Amino acid sequence: MPTPLLSSRPTASFFKRPLLTAAMTALLATVVAGCSSPESNDSEPADAKTENPTADESQNVANNDAVSVEKIMVNTVKGDVELAMNPSPLVVYDMTLMQDLAALDVAVDGMPGGLLLKNLHSETQPDPKSVGTVFEPDLEALNAMQPQAILVGSRMAEKYDELSSIAPTLDMSIDTANIYESSKQRLHDLGALFGKSDQAAKLQQNIDGLITETKSLTKENKGTGLVVMVNGNKMSAYGDKSRYGFIHTVLGVPMADDKIADAPHGQPISFEYIQKANPDWLFVIDRSAAIGEDGIGAKAVLDNPLVAQSNAWSKQQVVYLSPDSYLAFGGYYQWMQDLTTIKDAFTNAK
Amino acid sequence: MSLFSPRTHARLKSSTAPSASSWQSGTGNALHRRTVVPPWFINTASLILMGLLVLLSLSIGVADFSWSGILQSLLTQSANSDSSLLLVSRIPRTIAIILTGIAMAVAGMIIQVVLKNRFVEPSMVGATQSAALGLLVVSLLFPASALIVKMGVATIAAVFGMMLFMLLIHRIPPTDFLMIPLIGIVFGGIIEAVTTFIAYQTESLQLLSVWQFGDFSGVLAGRYELLWLTGALCVLAYIIADKLTIVGLGDNIALNLGISKRQVTWIGVGMVAMMSAVVVVTVGMIPFIGLVVPNIVSRLMGDKLRRSLPAVALLGASAVLLCDIIGRSIRYPFEVPVATIFGVVGTVLFLWLLLRAPSEQ
Repeated sequence: MPTPLLSSRPTASFFKRPLLTAAMTALLATVVAGCSSPESNDSEPADAKTENPTADESQNVANNDAVSVEKIMVNTVKGDVELAMNPSPLVVYDMTLMQDLAALDVAVDGMPGGLLLKNLHSETQPDPKSVGTVFEPDLEALNAMQPQAILVGSRMAEKYDELSSIAPTLDMSIDTANIYESSKQRLHDLGALFGKSDQAAKLQQNIDGLITETKSLTKENKGTGLVVMVNGNKMSAYGDKSRYGFIHTVLGVPMADDKIADAPHGQPISFEYIQKANPDWLFVIDRSAAIGEDGIGAKAVLDNPLVAQSNAWSKQQVVYLSPDSYLAFGGYYQWMQDLTTIKDAFTNAK
Repeated sequence: MSLFSPRTHARLKSSTAPSASSWQSGTGNALHRRTVVPPWFINTASLILMGLLVLLSLSIGVADFSWSGILQSLLTQSANSDSSLLLVSRIPRTIAIILTGIAMAVAGMIIQVVLKNRFVEPSMVGATQSAALGLLVVSLLFPASALIVKMGVATIAAVFGMMLFMLLIHRIPPTDFLMIPLIGIVFGGIIEAVTTFIAYQTESLQLLSVWQFGDFSGVLAGRYELLWLTGALCVLAYIIADKLTIVGLGDNIALNLGISKRQVTWIGVGMVAMMSAVVVVTVGMIPFIGLVVPNIVSRLMGDKLRRSLPAVALLGASAVLLCDIIGRSIRYPFEVPVATIFGVVGTVLFLWLLLRAPSEQ
């Protein structure tokens, strides 16, 4: 008599299997898949003004040490943190902050290697060393460098505790639901931290000026907008709390569908959804272009009879946003680039 | 050969073939012969169910659609918005779902027969994972290559992956049931890890997720036709069903009946690889179908492929249809990938299969 195959013990592994798979998948999805949505932190608005140390270098505090170090308060996700000015060596793990620092012409000594975006470090400063990837810090390299400050953002925020044991770590994630105020605060703080407040103010003026210009166009051109990301042959929609929410919240383009909840990778949609939502403006992020893949472009994916029925397609009001905006949302160059793209599109609108 | 001929074949499981019961005993106690439901009954029921699901699938979607518009279009012999929506989006999606369901279920059945093991499916023998790896590599190296090239590379990768797996389990006696799926899960995991690493290094994790989570949201006329290939492969599977059955009965029997085990095995492996590759390329991985559906059908109809393949195909199609309809309606107007839904449903079904087995004694 053959033993029954399904004795209780071995089956246990099968009980676990689906769960295990689910768990692994969930793990993979959360840990690896580049989720860069800051947890819905109670990020306090910019009311918590940082003390702006006017560049008053004459203010020499008498000190036993040779050099006096001025301390400064920096607003972070985890509350205000006091830090010495001009921390060096400096390590940065977030592309938004890298863009701001590059615009401020601040030297960064360590950043993740192999980043594909432009404008991540200032041309005039020495090249940074590689200190891991955007998800995984290379603790050995960090230890060798002995940084005075580590700046992290959304993607690396989970590693905060680990990094804090090495050097003072600042979680300067951007709050996507409040991207304008949040990024303004970050730029201001970075300027203050590196004694470049004037420059930071100037950069902020550039952004504000461009926002005002763009807004004057989006205001007069009444029409709803929908932000979609095209990834392979599939699409997802982004709402007003996402990293692309500024199109609706800052520029005031009404949402074609106001029920889009926030998710780091958007909400999966079909082409029928675009036909039904019928936006007057379609803002497209081509994710495969973001990874340097020029195979099936977003244009080819969207070019179908269903999308063609939407106002956006028939009026040729499809705006292709820079793929970099997916990773460096709220950074100085990203603001300038995306606003310019949108402004030009609305300028040419009939 | 009609689908519904009430053929009352004695099951091929003969008392002179102890090895035969070895892999079939997974469906219950070998000593107690179950009552086998007549195939015509199951197939008719499946077809009616599938017909209903197809109608449902055609009616559900985000865009406005009414059957009266279709009727009008038919009566006036002119196209209107309803009929074009049906032709551009709804019908292609439904066909894609049916073909995918059939392909994955039949592929699961083939691989279970060839490996003489009830607990394997294409994603447990490294087929789908290898296909995704091949796909990623070709997309990174030659992003502009045609879909058919990508599919070809994915197929070759899947064949290689399965060959490697066959070599791995070559030493395991076929009686050691649980080792094979366990090794398969680990093997698939390793390949997936390699794929993830490459994707991670090249910032293409999201592209990978397109293939790893099967869903039909991107299906339109002109974007799924590759799936017809799997339909052709399923017909081929039906043609060689008897040979596959005999190979599944054990090496000695195959030898005595003059069937080349090696040849049939490789044909089976090639077919499974190709089906997996096509499905991964066009819609993405959908786990569990190939595991759950063949098991349910075997339980009802026994293991003679010639008789059970049509039922496997029909049930597979219905299962995916149902899951996609759920995925379309659960968070309307947004979609939930069918792979996610099937992961949940498939898990429940599989647990039911496992728990139900002892109660038959």
